[in-house]
Amino acid sequence: MNDIRRRYVIPGDKIAEGNYRPLMNVVKSGNALYATRIGIAETGRDGAKVIPLSGVYIPRVNDLVIGKITDHTSLSWEVDINSCFSAHLPASDVFGRDFSPARDDMSKHLAVGDMITARVAAFDRTRDPMLTLQDRDLGKIPRGELLKISPTRVPRLIGKRGSMIQTIEQATQTRVLIGQNGIVVVTGRTPEGVEMAVKAIRMVEEEAHTANLTQRIKVLLNVPDEPQGAPAASNEAQKTAEPAAAPADPAEGELEVESEK
Amino acid sequence: MTQTRNLIDENGKRTDGRTIDELRQVKITVGTVKNADGSAFIEFGKNKIVAAVYGPREVHPKHLAQSDRCVLRCRYHMSPFSTDTRKNPAPSRREVEISKVMREALEPAVMLEDYPRAAIDVFVEVLQSDGGSRCAGITAASVALADAGINMRDIVAACAAGKVDDKIVLDINDTEDKEGGADMPVAYMPTLGQITLMQLDGRLSPEQFNECLDKALVGCKMVYDIQRQALMQKYFGNETEVKEEQ
Repeated sequence: MNDIRRRYVIPGDKIAEGNYRPLMNVVKSGNALYATRIGIAETGRDGAKVIPLSGVYIPRVNDLVIGKITDHTSLSWEVDINSCFSAHLPASDVFGRDFSPARDDMSKHLAVGDMITARVAAFDRTRDPMLTLQDRDLGKIPRGELLKISPTRVPRLIGKRGSMIQTIEQATQTRVLIGQNGIVVVTGRTPEGVEMAVKAIRMVEEEAHTANLTQRIKVLLNVPDEPQGAPAASNEAQKTAEPAAAPADPAEGELEVESEK
Repeated sequence: MTQTRNLIDENGKRTDGRTIDELRQVKITVGTVKNADGSAFIEFGKNKIVAAVYGPREVHPKHLAQSDRCVLRCRYHMSPFSTDTRKNPAPSRREVEISKVMREALEPAVMLEDYPRAAIDVFVEVLQSDGGSRCAGITAASVALADAGINMRDIVAACAAGKVDDKIVLDINDTEDKEGGADMPVAYMPTLGQITLMQLDGRLSPEQFNECLDKALVGCKMVYDIQRQALMQKYFGNETEVKEEQ
């Protein structure tokens, strides 16, 4: 990890020259790699990439997303997933293979306006993304405070191995569900806790690229420097070894599912 | 395009006190329109222009969507109060043309194939005009596109050069545009070294043409530095290097 070089870039900046593998948000021209987004460029042994600091959500297969049912046909629901593509959730995914539009009442299961947690089952940019609810903890969201953050801030909100979100959850006694598409649902026992969590999430969004953010979040939430919860402390130590925004690692997407338990 | 008075005095100063190689004062602020996905406000001399980018988003009407790439739509518009005498707010022939050349100037920089079946809308609103507003508009739009997080090969910087009193000068203002000999707006991608827009209004000899183009490119590079600074300021503040946390 030590030989990773980082710097701030804007589109068109040369990141690396030579035999580097283009990972994300870079374009190869001749023998060099150039950034295509504003963000933090990372050049390491496995290749070069830019962690973007702005942009809309483009679905990827296996992403966990939070969406709103906007419509339904006789065979599928249409879901707004905060992207330029609206997603489809096939009715057979919910009712099973013997689904019959005549027999099963779709709106009884999911009505227009319902919020759902789903996973992107298929997407290749030539067709609209398809969702699935066939996994643990996926389905209708019954209650919670809904907020939208920039999708590029999602990895930062989760933090390295979920450190940031664990800090917020533990300090405010809430559950925070994060979709890769930038939609966040906060549920908690007390309105004060939810309010505090929302405030912290907003702060993470605004100051995502700055140093020592976890520390400032702890100050905001009145968390002592050495909390009793050992896992959060050890995660924090690992996290601070890393700079600013963490990459949108699919493995990190798993975390918020677990935190739902 | 007939010249009626001297636009460069005996000290080599132009009507607004600049030398022939001097750019007007340029200031760019990123992220001024909160509702947009990306935006920029540029002050290019007396020009005041807002650029806002929306997208990639769904295409309406649907039949305009392209299955292999994104649709880039540009709208250049001058506010009724942007000129001395009121300008009719309906899009004029000139505005329709500038919208088109602006789109063509930005298209090579934007990686449209990354967003098939979507649209990116660029709105450029001139609040106050002072000659060279298409260059300022392209400059602002390009910064706004980068702010919106759209994949781009390079930033597009634009600047004009022209002929005044038989001298080739950088960054033509309104008076020089109306009374001078030639006006050449150029848009340029500095890292790739590619020109995306070049228009010429007036007459130039082949030597003058080359000199004018070279001068415009130098201007574009100066504008690019300001664009870079504005973007860096918005996203990274005054930091230039990534600080490793302890």
